[in-house]
Amino acid sequence: MRTIRIIKRRVYSLLHRSNADAELQREIEIHIQQLTNEAIAGGMTQTEARAMALREFGPVDQIKEKCRDTRRVRWIQNFVQDLRYGVRMLRQSPAFTAIAVITLALGIGANTAIFSLVDAVLLRSLPYRDPNQLVLILNAPLNRPDALSGISYRDFTACRAQNRVFSEMAGNAFHDLTLTRAGEPAIVTTAAVTPEIFPLLNAKPLLGRTLLPEDGKPGAAAVAVLSENLWRSRFGSNPGLIGQSIALDMRSFTVVGILPASFGYPEGAPRQDVWISVMQDPLFGPLTSQPGVRLLGVMGRLKPGVSLAGAQAEINTLGARLAMEFPAEDSGMTIRIQPYRQAVVRNLKPALLILLSAVGLLLLIACANIANLLLSKATSRAREMAVRIALGASRARIVCQLMTESALLGLLGGAGGLLLAVCAVWSLQPFLPPEVVQISSIHVGGPVLVVALLLSLATALVFGLAPALLATPSNLQTNLKEGGERSGQRGGRHLRSFLAIAEMSLAMLLLVAGGLLIRSFALVASVNPGFDPDNVTQAEASLPRFQYSTPQQWTAFSQELLARLHAQPGLQDSALAAPLPMDRQGEATFAFSIVGNPPLPPSESATADYATVSPEYFHAMRIPLLRGRLFSEQDSPDNPNVAIISEALAQRYFENRDPIGRHMRFGFPPNGNVSREIVGVVGDVRDVALSQQPGPIMYVPFAQAPLYGGEVVVRSSLATSTVAAAIRQVVHSIDKDLPVTDVRSFRDALGQSISQERFRTFLLGSFSAIALALAAVGVFGVISYSASQRTHEIGIRMALGAQRRDVLHLILKQGAKLALLGLGIGAVLAFLLTRFIAGMLYGVSATDPLTFGAVAIVLLGVAVIACYIPARRATRIDPMVALRYQ
Amino acid sequence: MPKPSDLLQGTLDLLILKIIARKPLHGWGIAKRIQALSGDTLSVGQGSLYPALHRLENQGWICADWEESELGRPAKAYSLTPEGRKQLERELKSWKRLSSAVHLLIQNA
Repeated sequence: MRTIRIIKRRVYSLLHRSNADAELQREIEIHIQQLTNEAIAGGMTQTEARAMALREFGPVDQIKEKCRDTRRVRWIQNFVQDLRYGVRMLRQSPAFTAIAVITLALGIGANTAIFSLVDAVLLRSLPYRDPNQLVLILNAPLNRPDALSGISYRDFTACRAQNRVFSEMAGNAFHDLTLTRAGEPAIVTTAAVTPEIFPLLNAKPLLGRTLLPEDGKPGAAAVAVLSENLWRSRFGSNPGLIGQSIALDMRSFTVVGILPASFGYPEGAPRQDVWISVMQDPLFGPLTSQPGVRLLGVMGRLKPGVSLAGAQAEINTLGARLAMEFPAEDSGMTIRIQPYRQAVVRNLKPALLILLSAVGLLLLIACANIANLLLSKATSRAREMAVRIALGASRARIVCQLMTESALLGLLGGAGGLLLAVCAVWSLQPFLPPEVVQISSIHVGGPVLVVALLLSLATALVFGLAPALLATPSNLQTNLKEGGERSGQRGGRHLRSFLAIAEMSLAMLLLVAGGLLIRSFALVASVNPGFDPDNVTQAEASLPRFQYSTPQQWTAFSQELLARLHAQPGLQDSALAAPLPMDRQGEATFAFSIVGNPPLPPSESATADYATVSPEYFHAMRIPLLRGRLFSEQDSPDNPNVAIISEALAQRYFENRDPIGRHMRFGFPPNGNVSREIVGVVGDVRDVALSQQPGPIMYVPFAQAPLYGGEVVVRSSLATSTVAAAIRQVVHSIDKDLPVTDVRSFRDALGQSISQERFRTFLLGSFSAIALALAAVGVFGVISYSASQRTHEIGIRMALGAQRRDVLHLILKQGAKLALLGLGIGAVLAFLLTRFIAGMLYGVSATDPLTFGAVAIVLLGVAVIACYIPARRATRIDPMVALRYQ
Repeated sequence: MPKPSDLLQGTLDLLILKIIARKPLHGWGIAKRIQALSGDTLSVGQGSLYPALHRLENQGWICADWEESELGRPAKAYSLTPEGRKQLERELKSWKRLSSAVHLLIQNA
């Protein structure tokens, strides 16, 4: 009740201020009138009585002020007044406002945009129940704990049955199958899973059901769950699809459910179209009975209260038990667990944190700039401030008012920044590396908005406080006397120089980081991959394994395909291979042994990448032959098995001996285990990533080691689209039901393989460019202000005979001093901090002297130019005018 | 003429509450009443009454209405709110406690 009364009073005094004031006036007037009447009654004249009454009442205006103070709404009124005043000030100097708002918008916009990435990738929780309980469970050799691999089906079942730390465990494996009996044949990304994955991830079907434990048993009826996307795009959202059958690789599956589009695993495959039981998978099903095939990625959910370390300890014991029980496959192996989030985020976290620090620095530079502008403004307003303090305004009150102005600027900048961030996020979306996009959608949502608002206010505080404090001088007299021109100048000048130096050093730091990344990216992009990617078109043709079930069919198809391609004009230089360079996911390495060398223990076996290629491949890709011979049509299944190795393999495993004529035994395909004679050595190829040194590769003839399809590569002077159409036409002339996918020029494929590097280089490069511009503006501002303050001095110097050159030197020297100090500090900072990006650099050291030097020269040059303009202006001063003015 | 002793702010509040507890009164009336009750020893600097009145009003202990008065024109008359009545009781109690304690102290000093 009382609270309501108080609120009513406050609202009244706030909204009906003039009424309240009039009432107060009337009330006091009545009192004074009464006092006057009494005095007149006592015998005084009207004038005497009035004077007497006023004396007795006390100082009317002060009393009124005290009464108004009791309303407790003063701060609101002050705030509104400050706001109005602030708006007026900002509108009075539109150039200042525009520069400040644009600078801030750049700073806040960059921060907000990067934060929206951080929010999506690192902060927003994964779309599962209790995502922090989710872990990945992987095999690794004891002596190489980072060489992670999947787990065999047998070991998975053993772990699932015997552990006491996971409430649930499930396995999954991904590959592409061909969907038929539903219009055009299509490739669908298939997740072959154990049915526990659905309760584990708390997946609820949109329609029908998910897989049940019975579906995971051998011999169960083949059923499939489809994704909402596939259901909508392929089956027109027909709810009657449940219970109907589809064909995957020509095998019949009954559709039992649809999963909502929101469900999927970010790790493993970017999207999944179909989920089936691994037991019923056309390819993986038979492999579940082979304990040597580490087929499954395994996910587990920790029981509540079980720590990661506790789970790892239990799993270690389990791994040791398995190694004892099954020494043939598991000796020397252990099992490791990894938080799921870590697996999803992988190398994105350090990159994002570095980007975040970079934009943080950018914002600091922006703040320093605006603080500088405000300082200049504050100095010119010092006299106004002094007058207001003399008239009774408290210092706190004036600081408050200046801070309101800053906050207003901050919010304007924040709004601009938000706009910029939305545009940036929207326009950058297509360039985001796929790893980022698949985790969760990037958008400017609630948390991002909050951060942007907080940033604007925090920056306003940072850039506004010092100028506000300096603007309200403690020594009134000097201010009033000297017209404010020199007031607060000492402190102000030092602060301004400090800000300019800070800006230069931060810009140096950012530019060095950006420069290192750009140099590294240029090196990666121009690295010789070991083959010539220009004018090459690639396309993937894969064969449904139920229709094309035998290796003979695969070979026949490949020969037919190449024969028809070679018959086409312009497509003579074509070949077939699987896989192509850059087509691998991570380090796909296959074990081999050299016949005649002592056998190595399973955990230390020699490994190399494996590619099966048609004879024309090396010519089509322009991979040079170093020794021996290339494959020919004679290397067919009827003739001795042969292989070609890369130079790296020859150097690493044959050292100084000649590998030609030696024999190798391969572990792939799993049941191949054939011995092959090495007939040739070819040049190295970067096959995992452009930024990774070439690893050892072994090539085998496609005819002797066929696969169900492969990549067609065509070197042709024709346009990519023409070549692509020709490839499609040739494939469809053999089998009109075969899908041709991933058709693109090899250059594009290479470009995509470095999309993450390009993205972060682009971002950091833009940030450092902005930093450079801001720092230049900052130095320009400081020098031109100081030059204008020294007009009088320069006038005297010129009157005493100083030449224009001397004046130019005077001003430039001042600027160069600031710039050099900033550069020095920045170089030290960069030297200390760039090692945090060392992991992202290729071919450049984090303290690359060339980059440091180039950046220093650029910055110094920009600083000198920024100083030159005010210096030139200073030389034009007419000494007579300058002296007369002050 | 001896200078009237300064009234403690709390005491002034207590006096105002006590005076208008009997019947609603305007500022002039309250000032007169304080003068009459205390003689000249406790004379309030007349104007300083108003900030106290406004503070009590803004704190919700008292409320005011413009009413016809014996002064010949409408005056702002203050009266206690129900909460103000309770506040008066609390203040009276604590005042009595304080004054008896001071009284005791002075007697024994």
